[in-house]
Amino acid sequence: MTDVNKKQETMSSLFLYLLGFLLLWEWLRPVDALTDTGNIYIFLGFLSLCLVVSFSKARVFIGALLKTVYILYFIHHYYFEGSFFQLSWLSQFWKDLILNISYSFQMEWSALTFAFRSLLFFILLWLMAYLIHYWLIIRRQIFIFFFMTLVYITVLDTFTPYEADGAIVRTVVVGFAVMGMLTFQRLVEREALVKGLSSKGKWGLPLLLMIGASVGLGFGGPKAEPIWPDPVPYLTSYSEDSGGVSRQRVGYGTDDTNLGGPFVGDDTVVYETEVDQRHYWRVETKDIYSGKGWEVSSSDDPIPFAQNEGFPISSFDQEGLELKEVTANVSSVRNYPHIIYPLGLKSVSTDNGNYSFRVNGGLEKVYTLEGDRTASLEEYSVTYDIPKYSVSAMKATKSLEQAGLSQEFIYQYTQLPETLPQRVKDLALEITGEQENWFDKARAVERYFGMNGFTYDQLDVAVPGADEDYVDQFLFETLRGYCDNYSTSMVVLLRSVGIPSRWVKGYTEGEYQGPTESGKRGYTITNNNAHSWVEVYFPGVGWVPFEPTQGFSSNVQLNFDSATQSSTEVETPETREQPEVEKPETPEKTVSTDSSFSWKDVWTKIEAGFEEHWKKGLIILGVMGVVAYIAYKLRLKWLPYVLVFIFRFKKKDDDFSKAYLTLLKQLDRYGIKRKEHQTLRDYADYVDYFFSSKDMGTLTSLYERYVYRGKLEEGSWDRSRELWENLIKKTIA
Amino acid sequence: MSQMNPVINRILQNIEKVMIGKRNVAELSLVALLAEGHVLLEDVPGVGKTMMVRALAKSVSAEFRRIQFTPDLLPSDVTGVSIYNPKELEFQFRPGPIMGNIILADEINRTSPKTQSALLEGMEESSVTIDGVTHKLDRPFFVMATQNPIEYEGTYPLPEAQLDRFLLKMRMGYPDLEEEMEVLDRAEKRSPISELQPVIDLEELRQLQEDIQNVVVDDTIKRYIVDISHRTRTHSSVYLGASPRGSIGLMKAAQAYAFMHNRDYVLPDDVQYLAPYVLSHRIILKSEAKFEGITAEDVMSRVVERVPVPVKRLAK
Repeated sequence: MTDVNKKQETMSSLFLYLLGFLLLWEWLRPVDALTDTGNIYIFLGFLSLCLVVSFSKARVFIGALLKTVYILYFIHHYYFEGSFFQLSWLSQFWKDLILNISYSFQMEWSALTFAFRSLLFFILLWLMAYLIHYWLIIRRQIFIFFFMTLVYITVLDTFTPYEADGAIVRTVVVGFAVMGMLTFQRLVEREALVKGLSSKGKWGLPLLLMIGASVGLGFGGPKAEPIWPDPVPYLTSYSEDSGGVSRQRVGYGTDDTNLGGPFVGDDTVVYETEVDQRHYWRVETKDIYSGKGWEVSSSDDPIPFAQNEGFPISSFDQEGLELKEVTANVSSVRNYPHIIYPLGLKSVSTDNGNYSFRVNGGLEKVYTLEGDRTASLEEYSVTYDIPKYSVSAMKATKSLEQAGLSQEFIYQYTQLPETLPQRVKDLALEITGEQENWFDKARAVERYFGMNGFTYDQLDVAVPGADEDYVDQFLFETLRGYCDNYSTSMVVLLRSVGIPSRWVKGYTEGEYQGPTESGKRGYTITNNNAHSWVEVYFPGVGWVPFEPTQGFSSNVQLNFDSATQSSTEVETPETREQPEVEKPETPEKTVSTDSSFSWKDVWTKIEAGFEEHWKKGLIILGVMGVVAYIAYKLRLKWLPYVLVFIFRFKKKDDDFSKAYLTLLKQLDRYGIKRKEHQTLRDYADYVDYFFSSKDMGTLTSLYERYVYRGKLEEGSWDRSRELWENLIKKTIA
Repeated sequence: MSQMNPVINRILQNIEKVMIGKRNVAELSLVALLAEGHVLLEDVPGVGKTMMVRALAKSVSAEFRRIQFTPDLLPSDVTGVSIYNPKELEFQFRPGPIMGNIILADEINRTSPKTQSALLEGMEESSVTIDGVTHKLDRPFFVMATQNPIEYEGTYPLPEAQLDRFLLKMRMGYPDLEEEMEVLDRAEKRSPISELQPVIDLEELRQLQEDIQNVVVDDTIKRYIVDISHRTRTHSSVYLGASPRGSIGLMKAAQAYAFMHNRDYVLPDDVQYLAPYVLSHRIILKSEAKFEGITAEDVMSRVVERVPVPVKRLAK
């Protein structure tokens, strides 16, 4: 008999070790997936060695020796030259160890060698294997470890690219199995039950069913959408160099070669301005579209210019517009080496005469110089012309040939990548086909984004794949994005029909702060106001800004002065300014706070959800309340069954006392109340009289012996269980 | 109540041959006898006290003595006296009535305190001192004292300290009509007391007294007893509550009572039943309460009603 028992014990502990190994494996899998730890099977092998040693109950020093040899062998194998048995490498390893320990004390983690790291990892696994052994075989409790494993996996799933779907299922299955087996063994130990195959079957089958049912339910059951957004973008927005996934920050950046991906709000103030009327602020322009983003064609020598000297680049051809010269003051909060300026800049000045400037011809980006070096200006004022564009002048141009532009200019501003899909060009023709002149075509393209189902979104923005085009993806697939998507698409569409245009980066006017002392309008510009838009070239007029992005307006003034105005225009000649794309001003800032994560948001969502569903919620609460009330009122009908059921599983004599006290409570609920000073015997007589039985008396004398004598004969509960159940059942109303 | 200890049952049946009704009095007397305590009976004359005690004495083969207390009784009349024997030329001790096993001290409050205390010393110390010589009293030694209700003329009420020495105080009460008829029936013939046979001998009685000490009093019960005693001390009508000696008495009596009911452990039922008999003569009521007609027995029954019966084991 003992042989059979021993065999069974060995089998079950083998099984336990196996399950323990599977649990530990779940800890190693992400290490393999997330870090560049190679040869994970070496560690797995070590883990199994540890568990095998524990299982075989080998002597401690033999086990330690085996493990040490294993560790040393593989460390040698991977990090040292020469034969393992030469042992000369050991002294080298020893020196290495000392060095690494000193690194550790100096907290120079990056200096640690790989051999040392591997050693540490081996030791960690050794500890883990011992812990598993301790929990499984000695404590016979695994819940904590199981729980920790689940937390570990879910945390990794949330915060890293590791996909833990399978891991969770595996862990739950293994964890339940281990817990079930351990509970069984604990029971056997405590109750000194005779283990037999039948009892194992009795235990194992429900266990298997339970695991199957819970996993099946978890798998098949409907899963609610998370009520708050993925916390990762929120958390990572706090650390700039979190890296990993391609992600952009709102604010001014120079690299636009790979556009796409979500935007994250940032309301850091970058500029404060004083202007006469609002307008966009340029930083630079870009002309080469690569299919993924923007690059710059020319690497012209920068053109220097001094303060109050004329800006060397002119954006306007004088004839087609009325100009109004104004000045504006800018104070820069961030130490950017470039300045922001409006279209039509004439000159820049500061209080300090030491500064001069240079402009890059291709980018039209203006750098501040102090001597030969770039420097940052805290305050400066810009003088510029505010144009009022003549619509008739703009409408005059109908084709490239008519425009008479230089080949170089045409090449530069109608450039398109060869990879641009044909359907983009087709779409451009479709949009502009009915319009005769460039202005109406540009207007048509600009308006195209206002309809046709485009959605402004900063978060759910796609990044084009390797063989996808940024514009094509936006126009035909996602229809969802922010200013970069809209402006780039407009430039590409215009270029497809031969209209020279360029992509401009800078800031919107910012947020109005009220009038300033000097009688101008004060604005603050934050990183949220970073923006991109389109400039189209019209011969005889110059560069004219267009604003394709939904919800933005560039405040460009148009002069509908011409009698030749096409009949399609609805506006009367006198109504000037404000292109019709203008919409109620929606500062980007409000949009962006919406899209980032904050507790306030969550609360608002909950509130909104509550407002939406409060009736349902109220009904559910009411129904639950009614059900609870009915259940409470009818407790006499169902509670006895529950009690009988619960106490079926209580076999110990100690439970007799619990059972008796439960019976007292139940009788009390039933209405046979025991007064405080009434002795049990007296009460039992009363109960027996009430039920005309003797059960309570018999039960009570047993209980008296327990309470007032401190002695319970063995098997009392077993023998009296029937009496107890009879009494409980009698209380069923 | 559940079945009695067979020996006890036979003794009680034996007593019942001569006493009609009054089984509880007989039972309580046995409790006191087994717990090595004494009984104070407060009752009018002629209700069968003597008969009871004699029957009890006879049943346990004990020597029965009776002392009729009168105002002129001297201590030496109780304890005995040394008389000069001219023949032997020395004083010879002639033991008094106290030198028996079971003593009926009739109308104890009729005699002077000095004589009372002679008896009480014997009750407490199980010995008497006469002319400087200490005489050990025989075991068992059981006194059943009777007293007239205190309001009667010419009585010396027993002081509290001395009342404390009685384990139980009870009343016999009149028999009911049918019982009294039966009494008359029996009185027609010869008194059956002379035909009463002993049930056990003195040695067996002593053994029973030993056995009682083995009855288990669990901590839960001890706690219950102490709770009751404490409650008497805080009761609003009580001037002086039960002493710790009262708690000890209650425990001992409960042990005896449990033994008589064939149990080797004490139940709260035992304590509840005995508490009024054991404690009510040990508490002194405030005079306001007395004027209101509240008796010590009333207070005791209220106290017992207030103290919850323990139904769980004490948490260690």
